Amino acid sequence: MSSTSQKHKDFVAEPMGEKTVMALAGIGQVLGTRLEEKGFDKAYVVLGQFLVLKKDEELFRDWLKDTCMANSKQQNDCFSCLKEWCDAFL
Amino acid sequence: MPVLVEEPALLSKSRLRSDFVAHNVKLHLKHIDHRNAAEFSSDEEEDVQDEAEENPEEAELPDPSGLTDDDLKAALLRLGFKPGPIVASTRALYQKKLSRLRRSNGCNLLKGAEKVLYSASEEEEEEEEEEEEENGEDDDAESGVEEDKQEAAEQTDEAQPGSSQRGDFFYPQCFLPSSGLRARASRNKEPGLAWNSGNALKSSEQSRPRRSQIPAGISRASSVDHCPGLGSGPPREPVIDTFKDLLPAETTPTGIYATRRRPIKGAAGRPVQYAYPDTPFSPTTLERREVERRLVPIHIRLLFFIVMACILYLVYALV
Repeated sequence: MSSTSQKHKDFVAEPMGEKTVMALAGIGQVLGTRLEEKGFDKAYVVLGQFLVLKKDEELFRDWLKDTCMANSKQQNDCFSCLKEWCDAFL
Repeated sequence: MPVLVEEPALLSKSRLRSDFVAHNVKLHLKHIDHRNAAEFSSDEEEDVQDEAEENPEEAELPDPSGLTDDDLKAALLRLGFKPGPIVASTRALYQKKLSRLRRSNGCNLLKGAEKVLYSASEEEEEEEEEEEEENGEDDDAESGVEEDKQEAAEQTDEAQPGSSQRGDFFYPQCFLPSSGLRARASRNKEPGLAWNSGNALKSSEQSRPRRSQIPAGISRASSVDHCPGLGSGPPREPVIDTFKDLLPAETTPTGIYATRRRPIKGAAGRPVQYAYPDTPFSPTTLERREVERRLVPIHIRLLFFIVMACILYLVYALV
């Protein structure tokens, strides 16, 4: 049973709408800024990338690492957050 | 995915495909050795020829970055990975994936030079993949691929498999220290005590010489005036009564169970134990105490009285 953070729970609880990238679990101020610089300013854009990669864990984690230099834990948190959101709402 | 045991050839192919994608090369090769040694022996000549054809192809494969999107997709499919759309944002990732797969595949082929069966199965995998794609069993392949990749990713990223491997090793190891501790514990306890869970014989042996000493101790005790506690003890079990202070009160395998005797009054610094813990209070004293607890204490009452007296005196003096 893995423990999920409050941020994860909040994100997965409702449609993401216009939430910023920093609302994603694992994405804080620093990573959020880096993603915004690359053009991923909203959570749904990151979701788009996640879906284009066909929700593949390895590819998405590599992409996160390359784009915003997320560490393993942050990658894990973001991936599981998006995956759970997709399971609930997609 | 239901696999019939009656068709070992198909069984091995599907397993090989899933294992290949998950980069479990060694396992994969062992499977082949074990299962296909007898079955594919007739295909050896063909395999050698195919391998010879494949090797020059491998050397000629262009850089992933030089490939077009379609070529990149085809290359990934050839290696058993089904990619999503190759767009600007995903292209770099798929190039990396291709080079990773090629590296692992190259290692496989080098090993496969000795184990020829692998290349034959690889070709058959590709053919089977194409057939499967045409048949529309993409979901199964995808899920199988993704699951295996997720497992591989989990293995590389998380430390769980490491801990689980260590956990497997824990089992044999955990028995050793516990047994060692038990042995040490028994050794430590032996000189100190007579009683040990594992050494009933030794305890009984050690208790015998002490029993011989006890009658002498009792005779000495009876000559000197001392606490009456010993009088009740000896008829039952003099051994434990005398040496109870030295030995801890634990249940013994011999079945001897004894209660603590009252120590001699003030002897050898032992605490004096009275029959009754405290002098009982009469009910009136208890009630008085309860009432007094609720009332204001005497000292404060007295102080208040003196203060009030002073104030009144001053008032009368001024008037």
